[in-house]
Amino acid sequence: MAVPGQLTFTRRLGPTARLLIWLLIGLGCAVLDSRYHMLDGLRSGISLLLQPVRETLRAPSEVAAELGGFFTRHRLLQKERDTLQAERAQLLVSVNAAKELRRENAELRALLQMKTRPGQQVVHAAQMYQGHDWFAQRITLDQGGRAGLRSGLPVVDATGLVGQVTRVYPGSSEVTLVSSREQLTPVFIERTGQRGLAAGSGQSQLELRYMPAQTDIRPGDRLLTSGIDRVYPAGIPVARVSRVSRSQSGPYLRVECLPLAGLDRSRAVLVLIAEPQVIPQ
Amino acid sequence: MNAPNQMFGSWSHILGSLTLAVLLEQLPWAGWALALRPDFVLVGVLFWTLHQPARIGFATAFFLGLLADFQDGALFGQHAIAYVIGVYLVLFLRLRLLQFDPFRQAAQLFPILLTVQLAVLLMGWLAVNPPAGLVILLPVFGSTVLWYLVAGFLRLWHGKGLQDRT
Repeated sequence: MAVPGQLTFTRRLGPTARLLIWLLIGLGCAVLDSRYHMLDGLRSGISLLLQPVRETLRAPSEVAAELGGFFTRHRLLQKERDTLQAERAQLLVSVNAAKELRRENAELRALLQMKTRPGQQVVHAAQMYQGHDWFAQRITLDQGGRAGLRSGLPVVDATGLVGQVTRVYPGSSEVTLVSSREQLTPVFIERTGQRGLAAGSGQSQLELRYMPAQTDIRPGDRLLTSGIDRVYPAGIPVARVSRVSRSQSGPYLRVECLPLAGLDRSRAVLVLIAEPQVIPQ
Repeated sequence: MNAPNQMFGSWSHILGSLTLAVLLEQLPWAGWALALRPDFVLVGVLFWTLHQPARIGFATAFFLGLLADFQDGALFGQHAIAYVIGVYLVLFLRLRLLQFDPFRQAAQLFPILLTVQLAVLLMGWLAVNPPAGLVILLPVFGSTVLWYLVAGFLRLWHGKGLQDRT
């Protein structure tokens, strides 16, 4: 052992050499992960290890929410009940109309000999963790492969499309939000029926791409999924147009939209599970 | 120089603080807190690299970096490489950094933390996408403040004042 104060020479590598070695290993990891997807097993392993920890650490905020709910004012609860009842009455009316429409639709489809639409199966999931990646906006859900989730499924909440399941672990899964950069969603404008492609722009916004300058579109228009990609079912609300401007350089309009789903607010979401339809040749 | 430091940098302290840092990152952060959230693990690793370079160094930084990559659902290696660069810079400036009081130390750490974040940015840029704006630099401020708090707390704990007396 070295005596304190005495100069000793070690046989270890210097910091620069070690830095280079670790940098090479890191680059290797990045290449293996991005080009060949060979580290997915490692991801699943870490997710299994961290799952109970995350479940536990979610407890404090839930307890706080419970306590907060306990002290809610009586008046507030009554008010909320009244609005819910009014909303329920309205919904019941539209359910009746929908039943009628469904019957009519089934008859018409039978008449036209079209295939019936597949039924939807849903899985309830809660948001467990919000990722902090600057290159894609993701959230982690507490349901995974064991609940029947797989990569590519659409995720919605009560108000609209949240995103798409992109990675599935046994007990959890990662969802890429619609507002994430380069996340494309085929949509149509509700008012005119014109189809387009909505792309996330990061910073919780979307933009409608490749809209010719004479397109009929104005702020306030709703965008729904068009369903032509056979990933999302048709008719899920995606976003509302917030600003339309004409760009000086390109032939296309610049259409900015705000997502309708509570991307960073909603705690509970639904994952829609349906077999992807194959178009018969 | 060894005697007073033995209690301070024991394995239990190191492992305890790093575990705490990992746990803190697992909390369900959201909104502005998430945007400003200091990188607890990075600050922990750099702190122990500064004070116990024989125990915590490149390997620890690399594996905790992989963990951070998993947490953000990012590319594997993105944070690992950045953390390793941070450790190298701290080792390079170690003797200089140890001479400063907490405030100046934090000020000196700022460019290092910024470099680490820029390394993350560069890796993501090359491998995945162009990033969404300069929000990515916000955690650097959070981390610098956290460093000041930790270093200041430890000095007070050891009975020294916050400011250097000359």
